[in-house]
This record gives sequence, structure tokens and C-alpha cells, in this order.
Amino acid sequence: MNIGEIPAVGPSREKTEKMMKFFPLFMNFYNVWMDSISDFSNISLEAMNRMHDKTANIGYEISPEKNKEIYNIWIETYSDTFKEFLGTGHFARDMGKITSLLIDAQKYNREMLEENLLKPMNLPTSTDIDEVNRELYSLKKTVRELTRKINELSQEK
Amino acid sequence: MNYHRKNDYFMIQTMNGLNLIEEPFIKFTKSCEVISELTEISVGTTPHEIVYSEDKMKLFHYKPAVENPCQVPVLMIYALVNRYYILDLSPDKSVIKNLLDKGFDVYAIDWGYPSGMDKYLTIDDYVNGYLNNAVDYVRRESGADKISLLGVCVGGTLSAMYASLHPEKVKNLISFVAPINFDTDKSLLNIWAKEMDVDKIVDYYGIVPGDFLNMGFLLLDPFRLMIDKYVGFLERIDDKKTVENFLRMEKWIFDSPGQAGEAYRQFMKDCYQKNLLIKNKMEIGGKRINLKKISMPLLNIMAQFDHLVPNESSQPLTEAVSSTDKESMVFPTGHIGMFVGSKSQNEVCPKIAQWLKPRSITSKDETPKSTDADRDQNKTDVKKSKSKKSNRKSKEIKK
Repeated sequence: MNIGEIPAVGPSREKTEKMMKFFPLFMNFYNVWMDSISDFSNISLEAMNRMHDKTANIGYEISPEKNKEIYNIWIETYSDTFKEFLGTGHFARDMGKITSLLIDAQKYNREMLEENLLKPMNLPTSTDIDEVNRELYSLKKTVRELTRKINELSQEK
Repeated sequence: MNYHRKNDYFMIQTMNGLNLIEEPFIKFTKSCEVISELTEISVGTTPHEIVYSEDKMKLFHYKPAVENPCQVPVLMIYALVNRYYILDLSPDKSVIKNLLDKGFDVYAIDWGYPSGMDKYLTIDDYVNGYLNNAVDYVRRESGADKISLLGVCVGGTLSAMYASLHPEKVKNLISFVAPINFDTDKSLLNIWAKEMDVDKIVDYYGIVPGDFLNMGFLLLDPFRLMIDKYVGFLERIDDKKTVENFLRMEKWIFDSPGQAGEAYRQFMKDCYQKNLLIKNKMEIGGKRINLKKISMPLLNIMAQFDHLVPNESSQPLTEAVSSTDKESMVFPTGHIGMFVGSKSQNEVCPKIAQWLKPRSITSKDETPKSTDADRDQNKTDVKKSKSKKSNRKSKEIKK
């Protein structure tokens, strides 16, 4: 058991326990994020090596044309190398994981904001607004359906 | 002597240096002039009016460019991602204007920007609700029993769904770079989508933000889309027309409406993750979509270098439908080039017109059947009632 998992006690137990959830969420996100940064560093290194191979015989002359040529090689090499990486299942899984964990963290932040700010101020939370939206959607759908039926009936007459 | 030689050397070096900066300096001055003269960037300028609207959706009717346009109108259905005006970016880069000039009566749907209250909209609402109502409106207004659908990108997917569920209302179907088969690894989007926790995304956002999707699009080729594009722009910044076109494209690229959560959820899961559409197993509103029910003439248009919707994703539609009159066309350009490139104007649009025109002739059996009740219904639908001209046209056809 780590320090973030020690059960809370006392009158603010519920609140403290909710707040403690932040640490594992953050750590999970941080770990995947760091793995991803490491992957990107490796792929940058690979691109740099490829770039080095392509420009080994290009010479040291400095001119706008030469700069443009080097720039074109740079863009082409980096674009192709990164696209190779971005097209792997490994990257796709990582991106899925990062997005998922990022959303977990954002969701937690939103819940805390609602809990600590909106509710005490008696302001509607996103869940409250959602309930209204769902009701509105359902009512609109019913109105449309009824209008369609009325039109059909009036045309039959 | 030595002194003079050194002096000459420095002079030459200085002149070389000045030559080097002269051109960029002139370019810089010119670009300042161009930028200071820029007025507001306008898009979607082909004359049109809003003839029908429902919630956020608007139906546009474009002013015909010829006296007697084709009797079978064309309804253009753009994707839910980004805005419809890529089809009418500027007068010289406009699929819509091009078709109008070729004698078609053109309508287009703008899905608008969904807000929180639209998060529960499903694909059924889009296809059997908004799209069906727009089609009915166009049919009533034009007097044609069946109309031509031109679905672009995901709009093409929605059009195929619609045509299979309501074949009696569709005379011709044009699928324009539309994804139908999602089981491909030719596009990064297809690879990434399989690993996404769609439920989590939709449950959190409700309306999936346009910026979230844009990040995905930029990641398809980050070096070209986030660096090279702007370097290229700087190289041509002294040309007014280039700057205007670039800014129009920038506006379109980042003008990304959010996605209604439930529709996004179903599309990602049923299409991208389970590939149900091409297997004829997808259901919307309790009805199964069977692509075999598409029996009207089909034109399936693809872009050879499409990085968003590879040919592998579009081509299977041609094989999946039961139409006997069907054709696939591939143009050597990219996804966006199909709407705004020179090929779009000079090759794609003329080919569409050439294919569509002989198939847009109304036979006697299909002459207008719109009733006075229909027309009354239309009048109540019209938010900005400027459609008297179209009504007159319908009456003339009736006579």
C-alpha cells in the first residue's frame, strides 16, 4: 500500500478519499506520458541518423539554394520516419492509452470542481445540465413524431 | 596594392551580402503591402438562400446559373466534420458553382455547430431525421419524385445509408471520397480509431470537440502540416491571391464543429471498429442498412493519393450495391484536392456533370406530384421565405 492509498478517517473522510484518487490517476498518466516521450525521443534519433546519412555528402557550402535543399531533405526524412512510427500498432495503443488516462484525469478535475465549487454555490453541474439536455432531446423527438403523424392523418383526410 | 586588393575583396563580399538580402527584403516589403491590403476572407460566396432549417441544420438552395436547370436537383451532403463551404471556397474553387454553371439545380446541407443539447443526436437522427426532411423538402419544392444525392466524405457514408433505407427517393447517388469499408490500414485514422476508448471520450465530452479531432488530423503528418505548410506559405506570401487562398483554407481547416456524442459513438464503434456498414450489419433507428438495396445509378469517386479515405475504403461500395448502372472514377489527387485543386475544377466536376446529366432527365412517370398540401408544408418550413422563384419553377413543370 502506498501513501496515496491509506484510508482516510474523520468528518472529512469522504472528501479526502475523493481527493486522494488524484495521485494514482496522475501517476498512471505520468508513466504512460513518459513512455510516450521516450518513444518520440527514439524516433527523433532515428530520423536524425537518417538525415545524417542523406546529408553526409552534401558539402559545407552556404547558400540559400543549399539551405533549401537541406530543409527539403529534413522535412522529407522526418515526415517519413515519423509517419512510419505513427502507423504502428504500438503508437496507436499508446495514443489510445494516453487519451483514456488524460480523460480520466480531466474527469476527476471536473468532478472536484463541481464538488468543491459548483455544488456549494448551488450552481448546476454538467450532470444536471445533461439531464435537461436528455429530457429536451426526448421531448423534441416526441414532438417530431407527433407532428409527422398529424401530417399523415391530415393528408389521409 | 595590397590595401586596394583587400578593399576590393570587402566590397565584393559586401555586395554579395547585399544581393543575398535584397530579394528577401523586397519580398518582405511586398508581403507587408499584401497583408495590409487584405480585407475579410470570404467563403461560400455563391449566391444562395436558406430554404429550410431544423435545429442546427440548414438547407441552402443555390441560385441557378442557367435559365432552365436540370429537373432533377442535386443535394450535396457534406461530412459532420468541418464545414460544407469547402465545396464553395472561392468563386474559382467551387464545386457548387461549377455544377451550377453546368446547368444543375443545387442544394446543400450545412449541419451547423452542435451544442450541448445536441449531444444525444444519433446517426438515425441525422439520416432518417434531418437528411430525410431535407430530401423531402427538395422533392416537394422542385417537384421531382426522386433527387440526386452527392455525399462528400462522411457525408457520402451518410448518403449511402440514406439511399439504402430510402431508395424510392434517390434517383442517382454520387459518393465523393466516402469511407464505406473501414477495415484497412492504409490510413492512420483507421489504425488509431481501433485503439480508442470511444465510450470514455463521448461520456466525458458529450460533444466531442473539433479541436480534439483536429489534433488527430494534424498528427497524420505533423512535419508537413505544422511546419512545411507554413514555410511554403512564407515563400509565397508576396502574392495576394496565394495569401487569400491560404487563409481561406486555414479558416476551413480549423473551423471544426464538435461532434454530437451519440452519433460519434455509433460511427466510431460500428464503422471504424466493427466495420459493420460494408457487412450489411449496421442498424440505425432499429433498421438494418443493406447496401444491396442501393439500386439507383451510382458514381463512386475516389482520390488516388487520399490519406484520409484510401481507395480501399471507398471502392467496396461499387461492389456492394445492386445497381446495374455503376461506375468508379479515380483522380490523381489528394482528399482535399478533390474539392479545391485545379483537377477538381477542370476534371472532377466536368466528369460528374457528364455522368449526371443524362441520368437527370425526368421521365413522364416522374413528373411532379407535389400537392398543395406539400407546398403548404414547405411554406411553414421556410425560415427565410425567398423561394418564390423555385415555386414558380415547380408550377411551370406542373403545367
